Amino acid sequence: MSESNTHAPAGGLRLLGYLVLAALSLVGLKAIIGTLADGHGALATTQHVPWGLWVALYIFFLGLSAGSFLLSTLIYVFGMKSLKPVGPLALLQALGCLLLGGLLIILDLGHPARLANVILHMNPTSAMAWMGIFYNLYILVVLVELYLAMRPRLIELASAGGAMSRWYCLLTLGSSNTSAAALARDQGWLKALGILGIPVAIAVHGGVGAIFAVTKARALWYSGLFPIIFLISALASGGALLTFLSVVTLKVPEEQKRKIVRLLARLTTGILCFDLLLLASEILVVFYGGLPHHADGWRQVLFGPYSWVFWGLQLALGTLLPILIVGGRRTGQSMKWLGFAGLLGVLGIIGARLNIVIPAQITPMFPTLPEAYHHMRYAYGYFPNSTEWQVGLGVCALGWLAFVLVRKCLPLDGQEHSATASSGGGEA
Amino acid sequence: MATPQDTPFPPSPPAESRREFLAGRAATAVAGALAVASLGGCGPASPPAQEGSAARRWGMVIDLRRCVACKACVASCKSENKTPPGVAYNVFIEEEQGTFPYVRRVAFTRPCMQCAKSSCAQVCPTGATYHRADGIVAVDYEKCIGCRYCIAACPYGARSFDYGHDYIEKAGNPYNEIPSSEYGASYGLRHKGGSPEGNVRKCTFCLHLQDEKGEYREPPACVRTCMGKAIHFGDLKDPEGVCVAHGEKMQALLAHRGNYRLKEELGNEPAVYYLPV
Ligand code: SF4
Ligand code: SF4
Repeated sequence: MSESNTHAPAGGLRLLGYLVLAALSLVGLKAIIGTLADGHGALATTQHVPWGLWVALYIFFLGLSAGSFLLSTLIYVFGMKSLKPVGPLALLQALGCLLLGGLLIILDLGHPARLANVILHMNPTSAMAWMGIFYNLYILVVLVELYLAMRPRLIELASAGGAMSRWYCLLTLGSSNTSAAALARDQGWLKALGILGIPVAIAVHGGVGAIFAVTKARALWYSGLFPIIFLISALASGGALLTFLSVVTLKVPEEQKRKIVRLLARLTTGILCFDLLLLASEILVVFYGGLPHHADGWRQVLFGPYSWVFWGLQLALGTLLPILIVGGRRTGQSMKWLGFAGLLGVLGIIGARLNIVIPAQITPMFPTLPEAYHHMRYAYGYFPNSTEWQVGLGVCALGWLAFVLVRKCLPLDGQEHSATASSGGGEA
Repeated sequence: MATPQDTPFPPSPPAESRREFLAGRAATAVAGALAVASLGGCGPASPPAQEGSAARRWGMVIDLRRCVACKACVASCKSENKTPPGVAYNVFIEEEQGTFPYVRRVAFTRPCMQCAKSSCAQVCPTGATYHRADGIVAVDYEKCIGCRYCIAACPYGARSFDYGHDYIEKAGNPYNEIPSSEYGASYGLRHKGGSPEGNVRKCTFCLHLQDEKGEYREPPACVRTCMGKAIHFGDLKDPEGVCVAHGEKMQALLAHRGNYRLKEELGNEPAVYYLPV
């Protein structure tokens, strides 16, 4: 099992990495507390661009979550046995990203303490309200699924003795039945929840897409294709992150791991290609028609001052390079390269999310509106300021650290069947 | 039913509202002893009708031929609602068309359109933004979570998020001691962390100037300040409805010169009409 660690950085480097992450997290936490205490005056968003970096990162995380959850249903609903070892990892990823996104969007609210109003005073014509409802339902589904997916292994570890056994015992929530019937029942529930989860995950993320798509005031968003692009790129991003994390963390026999990673990478690439197709269709239609408002948003994306986010980050680094790597004869076989491709895919999606949220808002509702009121909140344009970066990067770093920690405390690697690696020694 | 003609303008406003008006003026000039001295009795004489009168559909007819682009409407809105820096209920938009020397200046004042099919109330997740019976789109500051979806959705850029800026940051300065009278002064003074800071705010057609029956005691600030009498304000539901400030028949104004609404193609059905130059 030592091979699975060959891609992890050496001790010193790893320590340095953790230190950087910890520093980023601390800076982020400080900025978070600052915003909570002092309000939104510290943000660079304006009256023309009310949603900035945090919202972009929110949909980024939500996409990662929905994507990895939907991939997990390949295992639990569609019975794709070969992927089974990454099931718990995919579910944890779904849960973690969901929480990170939630943190960011709550911070983005002017009155975070009133969050419950979305449910208590729900307005049924609001896509955002529906997203709120489904968001909660989705958390529940993912939590229960994660528990069920780990349950047999938790019970096993709880009885294995050792320092951690009490912790695992706690996590079993008192259940100890690992009979064949009980396991079968688990699988049944996993399948049922997975089936329920598919529409819920689609509703959550497609719902976020709908938040944008129903906004006729911002022509770039106002497209029926938008929620679909949201979902497809969510799948791609979830697959990319899962590929990366599998390469770095999965502890199963090397041959099996290679199979899993290659399968994931190919799936992701296929989805990326489909995403590209949707994007091309949208862009071609928009520019062919050339409706001024519509084309203007896309002009910002493709030729605006931050067009490198599209051409460089989203397209070259985040889409084409991963496709080339996965398709390459040598690179397509190498764990390292495939993991790298996954990482690139994730980074590219950040670019895609920024491009969704920000360029559509750049053009004010009347071209000369910024001159009508001389104040920074009415100024033209938007670029995240240091507070927003601090919080954004801080939340990413926090998420990473939390993942490292949680991974040590949860049996994520491969369930009872393949668990031969960590303590206890599998007897499945 | 009391029609707006019953209270001709300029009506003699209650002493308190006059004082509040002065306070507002002082705020746009240099806030000083005058402002502090006029603090005591701000707020309308009677509480506003919360939901307005269903018999009315308040609207504006803005005659651009009468507008001299003095922007007094913007200043008076600032002083009436005491909007902080970076928050604008009403802005004056100017555009230049053509190339020199053949240029023309297009200019218009832009309040909230109080759309019949408003995007803001449609998307608001909490129902904090809602339609009153008289067509005015209002915000319940206590419900609003500050998500800013309504800003993203409003095609007229008519909403602003209160980022908590003050004209003078130092606490206790006279600017910050003048309460706003919007929503019947229930949110008069802003304070850190409380509404309306962190909320989205918008033009309400000065609904705090309505009496308990939902009729206007005096016209909205921009209307009564407009020196060219370019902004007409009245009931659009009543075919005979007249401007509460200048007395013209609203429907007649609309019919005689032809009219248009901004971004008509979006289907928001604004209650604000413009008469062409
Ligand atoms: S102009 Fe904007 S804020 Fe006013 S009612 Fe219409 S959509 Fe709402
Ligand atoms: S900011 Fe307030 S009023 Fe606007 S959509 Fe959100 S909850 Fe509604």
